[in-house]
Amino acid sequence: MIKFEHVGLRYGVGPEILTDVNFTLEPGTFHFLSGPSGAGKTSLLSLLYLGRKPTRGLMKMFGEDIGQLNRHELKLMRQRIGVVFQDFRLLNHMSAFDNIALPLRIMGQEEKEIRENVEELMEWVGLGEHQHMLPNTLSGGQQQRIAVARAVITRPKLLLADEPTGNLDDEIGLRLMNLFDQLNRMGTTVVIASHNTMLMEKFGQHSKLILDKGQARLEKSEPKSTLKQRIGDMF
Amino acid sequence: MKIFSKKDRRLGVAHGTRKYDLPLEKGNGGSFLKILMGLMTILAMFAFVASFALSAMTERWSAGLANQATVEIPAENAAGVLLSQEEINKTAQDILVFLQQNSAVETVTIMSEEEIQSLVSPWLGEDMEFNDLPLPGILSVGFKEGVAVDTKNLEKRLKNFGEPIRLDTHATWLANVLKFTSALNMAAMLITGLIGLATVIAAAGAVQSRMSMYRDELELLHLMGAADRYISRQLQRYTFISCFQGSAMGACLGFIILFITSLIFKEKEIALLPNFNMSLTEFLILCALPVLIALLGMITARQTVLRTLAKMP
Ligand SMILES: Nc1ncnc2c1ncn2[C@@H]1O[C@H](COP(=O)(O)OP(=O)(O)O)[C@@H](O)[C@H]1O
Ligand SMILES: [Mg+2]
Repeated sequence: MIKFEHVGLRYGVGPEILTDVNFTLEPGTFHFLSGPSGAGKTSLLSLLYLGRKPTRGLMKMFGEDIGQLNRHELKLMRQRIGVVFQDFRLLNHMSAFDNIALPLRIMGQEEKEIRENVEELMEWVGLGEHQHMLPNTLSGGQQQRIAVARAVITRPKLLLADEPTGNLDDEIGLRLMNLFDQLNRMGTTVVIASHNTMLMEKFGQHSKLILDKGQARLEKSEPKSTLKQRIGDMF
Repeated sequence: MKIFSKKDRRLGVAHGTRKYDLPLEKGNGGSFLKILMGLMTILAMFAFVASFALSAMTERWSAGLANQATVEIPAENAAGVLLSQEEINKTAQDILVFLQQNSAVETVTIMSEEEIQSLVSPWLGEDMEFNDLPLPGILSVGFKEGVAVDTKNLEKRLKNFGEPIRLDTHATWLANVLKFTSALNMAAMLITGLIGLATVIAAAGAVQSRMSMYRDELELLHLMGAADRYISRQLQRYTFISCFQGSAMGACLGFIILFITSLIFKEKEIALLPNFNMSLTEFLILCALPVLIALLGMITARQTVLRTLAKMP
């Protein structure tokens, strides 16, 4: 699914943020990307959502060497990736509905289907009442749910989220994690950047990709059996 | 009901349906483009109208003179001796008969003394006493249309009636006029070309400033996997509509200005453009200007957007 070999990244002439990143993520897995603030989590995600090219090294995604893809192929690959940005990056001139519908419109889906899909998802994330609202008039938590809904509306093969629980109260946060979990069970590979150790402990069944001093280290998950028990504990 | 919708808006409800993924309709960069396009249109209209008028003028002159020639019998003979009016009249009469026998000649008339007087009076003054001054004889000849006339040969034969007799086909004069008007026409075309260039630069500048204003939104669409064409289509449409609106307003204003100008010209009897009436085709060309300018703007927008997007990984 995703394979990094000796990947390095620097911004301009600055120091290398990532020096030698090596890891392989199997399809359909769920990972926390952790590390202290400034470790390069957001930067690594930007490589994963193809927003930046690595300064050096080999990046393979969906079985393809990224360096070998043409513009059209990169575009198709981006359509298979859903991203929840840390600052959401919602478009404030259009309604919550249109924000969530945007990826579907880009992919050229029929307007009728778009309406059904978006309405259903908005109900699900608790935004059914706010379809016509402009994002910047909603609360931080609501904006984040729009951002998450926009990222998952296309049922992406790879879901990336940057600190997605920062603005959420517990119940909604749990609900989103469950949404990610559900997508993961349907085959989506999930990578969530977070330095929230509490969250990672709650969902300790997932493996961790730990960034440290420009390098990455994969920490395997605990056995899956403890999952139900842990979620049960929370209610 | 109105009150409610206003209240809703204040509460943050999106108004209307989404037209563009980029917030193109915010800010007033659009009105700058519209005003610019309006001005360009007015200038282009004037350049076109000038060019139309020149063409009409040239055409009238060449049509009027194409099959025409003048036979001139100078009042002096080859030796510099003044001829009497009777002698001149007699030669004119002989030439008239000679030309009437020529199969290429359609009409030939001797210009009357009054006509010749009225021709020369602007130079000599109304009060000039012509009686004792012999006037040259002038015959006006109209050739049959489509018949090639060997004017050199004809002039040679006319000189049998008297050495200084000349056949003036107006060719040289007409050639000079045509050279002049075609130079003017070239200038009008050049101005039109410059206006087109300015339109392109303005549209490109407007789109570029939009693109840098909305860089984040643009990048977001790009990251979602939007094709370059998906993004450029929206800016193309926006630019086309903006340019068209501005240009159409400019065209309306331009027509009003042209109308007023023509009224003033009529009022003051300035025969600058004698009987110049726009043909339907010419009018339609002017009406098509906004579409042309909008198309030009749209193509420019497309190129600009695609170039900017090509820089994204
Ligand atoms: N666009 C950028 N230009 C230059 N430096 C950047 C940019 N984005 C991040 N950095 C630098 O890269 C380092 C890692 O940042 P980031 O990836 O945001 O870490 P994290 O998300 O783990 O907090 C930081 O030192 C930051 O200053
Ligand atoms: Mg970060």
